[in-house]
Amino acid sequence: MFEEPVRRRGMASLTPLIDVVFLLLIFFMLTTSFLQTQSLAVVTPAPSVDELPTDARVVEIWLLGNGTIAIDGTPVERAALAEGLKQAIGERKDLTVTILAEKGSKTQALITAIEAARQSGAKSVGTARVERIAP
Amino acid sequence: MIEFDQEPPKRQFETLIPLINVVFLLLIFFLLAGTMQPAENVAVSLPKGALNDKERDLPSTLIVEADGFVWLGDRVMDAKIAGHFVKQHLGEEGSRRVAVKADRDAPAEAVLELMEGLREAGVEQVTLLTERGS
Repeated sequence: MFEEPVRRRGMASLTPLIDVVFLLLIFFMLTTSFLQTQSLAVVTPAPSVDELPTDARVVEIWLLGNGTIAIDGTPVERAALAEGLKQAIGERKDLTVTILAEKGSKTQALITAIEAARQSGAKSVGTARVERIAP
Repeated sequence: MIEFDQEPPKRQFETLIPLINVVFLLLIFFLLAGTMQPAENVAVSLPKGALNDKERDLPSTLIVEADGFVWLGDRVMDAKIAGHFVKQHLGEEGSRRVAVKADRDAPAEAVLELMEGLREAGVEQVTLLTERGS
């Protein structure tokens, strides 16, 4: 007569499950990014340099074309920018910080300068691009 | 002749279980720790910064490439005329918020020129995207 069918349902095959899980794993590995972006809100600049205030209550950060940064004409290291700006401002909190970007300066320097100006406690921060900063 | 008991080949499932455990853990890790981002047609290396204003849900993203060209969606344009296109684009979307993804080696004047154009288009504030670091 016929043989009794062997009951093997206790251990169903795991291979399809593993296949699917591997596929999901590879999908998530490829599509996720761990890059944490930050955002920095900046007021858009006035269309012309002439609209910026130029009286004594202005500290200027110069982003020079050769990659160096200067505060009111004194060159500073990029790491020491925030500290130098604090010294230049001192106790006068009603100051405006103006960031002048010369032709050839990079966005990284601009971001560094904006952040330093923000942290220095100045009342307002302005940005402008100039062809060449007069020495 | 001595006959040995034949060992039944039952052990293959047991050895797979730790593997499945690890793979599940990895899966859950990537699910929780990663953030999905829509693919963009330009790759930029963001400038490093320390501050975070934690602005979320920024609808229109402009990308400034390292050579100074500006991408809006799938259109590439010069920084000088980007403001005009942004105005059209914002008109469609009805939003005044703009995020700018600039390459860290992009010329600062291109970013500023773009921001001037945005001011003319009626955008008072832009959000520059940076990467954590110093």
